[in-house]
Amino acid sequence: MKRVSHWLVLVTVAAGLLALGYGGPAGAQPQKTLVIAIGADQTGLDPQTVQNNESGFVMSTIFDSVVNYKPGSSEVGPGLAESWTVSPDGKVFTFKLRRGVKFHDGTPMNARTVADDLDRAINPNNPCYVLARKGVDTYDDFTFGSVTDNTVAKMDVVDEYTLRFTLPDPSAPFLSSLAMTWQGIMSPAATKQYNCDASQHPVGTGPFKFVEAVRNDHITLDANPDYWGGRPKVDRIIFKIVPESATRMLMLERNEVQILADVPPSDYARAQNNKALQLYRQPGLTILGVAMSNDLGPFKDRRVRQAMNYAVDKDAINQGLYAGATTASQGMPPVLWGYNKGVSPYAYDVAKAKALLAEAGFPNGFSTEMMVYANPRGYNPIGGAKLGEAVQSYLTKVGINVKITQYEWGAYLDRFRHQPWEGFAITGWSGDNGDPDNFLGDLFEWDIAKGRARTNNTSRHHNPAYDRLLRDARRTTDQTKREQLYEQANKLLHDDAPWIFMNHTNQVRAARVNVKGFLLNPLQMFFHMELVSLE
Amino acid sequence: MATAGTVALRTSRRLAALSWRRLFAHSSFVAGAIIVTGVVAAAAFAPALAPFDPIEQAFTSQLLAPSRAHPFGTDEFGRDIFSRVIYGARIALVVGVVADGIAALLGVVLGVVSGYFGRRVDAFLMRTVDVLLAFPYLLLAMIVVAILGPSLINAMIAIGIVYTPQFARVVRGAVLQVKEEDFVEAARAVGAGSLRLLARHVLPNILSPIIVMATLTVGFMIVETAGLSFLGLGASPPTPEWGSMLATGRSFMLTAPWIATFPGLAILITVVGFNLIGDGLRDLLDPRLRGSR
Repeated sequence: MKRVSHWLVLVTVAAGLLALGYGGPAGAQPQKTLVIAIGADQTGLDPQTVQNNESGFVMSTIFDSVVNYKPGSSEVGPGLAESWTVSPDGKVFTFKLRRGVKFHDGTPMNARTVADDLDRAINPNNPCYVLARKGVDTYDDFTFGSVTDNTVAKMDVVDEYTLRFTLPDPSAPFLSSLAMTWQGIMSPAATKQYNCDASQHPVGTGPFKFVEAVRNDHITLDANPDYWGGRPKVDRIIFKIVPESATRMLMLERNEVQILADVPPSDYARAQNNKALQLYRQPGLTILGVAMSNDLGPFKDRRVRQAMNYAVDKDAINQGLYAGATTASQGMPPVLWGYNKGVSPYAYDVAKAKALLAEAGFPNGFSTEMMVYANPRGYNPIGGAKLGEAVQSYLTKVGINVKITQYEWGAYLDRFRHQPWEGFAITGWSGDNGDPDNFLGDLFEWDIAKGRARTNNTSRHHNPAYDRLLRDARRTTDQTKREQLYEQANKLLHDDAPWIFMNHTNQVRAARVNVKGFLLNPLQMFFHMELVSLE
Repeated sequence: MATAGTVALRTSRRLAALSWRRLFAHSSFVAGAIIVTGVVAAAAFAPALAPFDPIEQAFTSQLLAPSRAHPFGTDEFGRDIFSRVIYGARIALVVGVVADGIAALLGVVLGVVSGYFGRRVDAFLMRTVDVLLAFPYLLLAMIVVAILGPSLINAMIAIGIVYTPQFARVVRGAVLQVKEEDFVEAARAVGAGSLRLLARHVLPNILSPIIVMATLTVGFMIVETAGLSFLGLGASPPTPEWGSMLATGRSFMLTAPWIATFPGLAILITVVGFNLIGDGLRDLLDPRLRGSR
C-alpha cells in the first residue's frame, strides 16, 4: 500500500508538470489577442477617481456597474443587478443583485461588498471617502449627490442580494448615472489592500482581468473565463499607447493592432479604401452650437433665433471646417434615446431667414457681439474662434453685423456663465451618462425653484411648457413614457432655437475586418468587449 | 532779432540736410522708399488690385495652393490670401502711423518736460521710464490691452504707450543738449518764458532725432501689433490683418504653408522698407544716433 501510494504521487506530479508545461488553455489552441491602439496612457483605473477617456476605455473592460448600458446604446440594462424596481414617487431604487458572481480576486459580489465599495462615494466617515481625496476627478457627487448641499443618496443593504438607494428628489436619470464606467464596482478587498488607492491594481467583476500596466506603453488584460455575461471570445486584450495618429494607422494596416480608438478625418479615406479595414462612425454624444442671449436684445424674439439658424449653412461648415467629421444638429444628439426622428436640423435658407427677421421687425438686420475662445474642445476640435468667424460671415449675408471678441478659456467661462452677456457665444457639451436629461435638462432648463436658469443653461432659455416636460420625465419611471416626453421636449427645443444648433462631433473608430461583434457605444467606452471576436 | 536769426539759421541748416539730392544719393533710403511706396500704393488701390473680396468665404475652394486664380492660394475659409494681404497693407500702415504718432506725441511731451525742467521732475519721469523699459514690450502691451479690452484700436494705443519711453529718452537727451546752447541762453536773457523757449527754440532743434526715431520705429510698431493680433488681442475677425493671418496659418504650416508665408513676407518687406528709410534719414540727419535704435 505504502509503495503504491508513493508511485501514485509521483505519477500524478509528473502528469501535473506535463500538463502545466505543454497543456493548459493557452497551449491547447492559438491564443487570441486583440490589440487596441489608444493615443494616451490611462491615469488610473479606479473608476470613482478618474474622468479621462483613456482610463475609461480600459476600465470599461474590467468593471461592471450596478446596471450596465445595453450593447451599442446608452439605454440602461442589467449589470451586477439582474433587475430593479423604482417606487411610485421615483425616489427609492431597489436592486436585486446576481448570485454566484465573484470579483477577479475571489471576493464574492453581493449587496454587502457592493455597498462597501459605494460607501466611499457617499459616506464622509469612510476612511477612503473619495470626495475628500485631493487630486482625483470623480463623478461621485454627480451620481449620488453631495453631503455638503444635502442632496446625497441614502444606501441600505436590505439582504444579501438586495441593495436600496433613497434619493431626496425623484430622479430617473439616476439609473443612467449608475451605469457610467465611472461607477464601476471595485473589489472592496483591493481598495483595502492598497490603502484606498487600487488605481494601478484594479479588481472588478467584468469580462477582462487586469494583468499589468506599463507606463506609456501598454495595459494587458486577460479574459475572465467565469464572466457572468459569458466567456469572452478573445483571450487577451492589450491597450497599446501610440501617441502619433499616423503611426497608429500604419500599425492597423500591418495588423499589429486590430482596433483604433480614434481616427482623425485625414485618415478616413485611407481606412475606407483598404479592404482589410472597416471604419465605424456615428454622431457622438456631444453638441456644438452658438448660444444666443434668449432674454436680451433682438434674440428675445424666437423668430430672430430661428432666422439665425436658417442663415447658417451647417453642412458647408461641416465639410469646410470639420472635414466631414460632424453631423448637423437639430438640438439633440441622434444617438440619444428620446431623440425625435421627426425633427430635422434647420435647412440653409437665406430667404426664409430674411423673411423671419423682417417679420420680427429687423428688415435691415442689426449689430451685435460674439464671444469666442481659441482652444479646441472635445465637442469642437477646431476651437471656437474659427467657428465664430465662419458663422459671422454667414450672418453678414442676412444683415447681421457681428463683432467678435476672443477670450482665454478661463475668462471665457467666467463671462459666459456668470455675466449677463448679450449676443452670441460659442458653446457645446459632452454627455456624461447618456440620459436625455443630461442634455435637454442641463443645457436648456429653467430652475423653477430658484427662479433662474440652471448653471449650464447659459443662453437663459425659458419655456414653462418645456420645463414641465423635463420635470415630468425625471419623475417618470416608465422608460417608454420618458422617451415620449423627451421626444416632445426635443420638438419644443428645436422650435425655440435657443442656440444656432451646429453639429455633433462624430465618434470614429477603425478596425480590421476580422474583428467581429464590435459595436460603438454613444458613451465612447469599450463596453461589452466579451462579445468581440477575432476571425 | 539777432537771436531769432541764429535760430532760423541753425534750423534751416539741419533741414537742409533733407534735400532731395542727398536723399536720392543714399541707396538704403531709396530702397526703403521704393518698398514703402509700393505698400502705400497697395493700400490706396486695394479695391482695384485685389481680385476677390478679402472677407468673402467660399467653402468650395479651401486651402488651395497658389495658382493663377489665387496667386497666394486660399485659407481654410476659402478666402483669397492675395486679396487679404493687399487689404492688410491698409491696416498695417494705419497701425504703424497711429501707434507711432501716439508714442511720439507722448514721448516728446514727457522728454521735453523731463529734460527742460530737470531735477526732481526729471528723476521721477526717467525712473518711471527705466521701469517701463525693463518690461518686455509685448508683455507690457498685453497688460495694456488686458486693461482696455482686445481690439485693433486698443492694440495701437497699447503699442504706442509701450514705445513712449524710448521716445522720451531720446527727446530728453536732445533737450538737455539744446537747452545749454548759447541761443537758448540768449533767448532766456532777453526775457523769453519757458513756453516760448520750448516752442520756438528747443522743439524746432530736436526735430531731427524725433523724425529719425519715428521712422525707425514704424516697423517695430507694425510687428508688435501683428504680434498682438497673433495672440488674439488685436484685430478681430474677419479683418485681414497680417498678424492674425499668421496665427490662422500657423496650424496649417505643413499642409498649406502659403497661408502663413505670404502675410509673413508682407510684414517682413514692409518693416524692412520702413527701417531702410529710417536708416537713411538717420545717416543724413543725425549720425550720432547710429546704433542707438
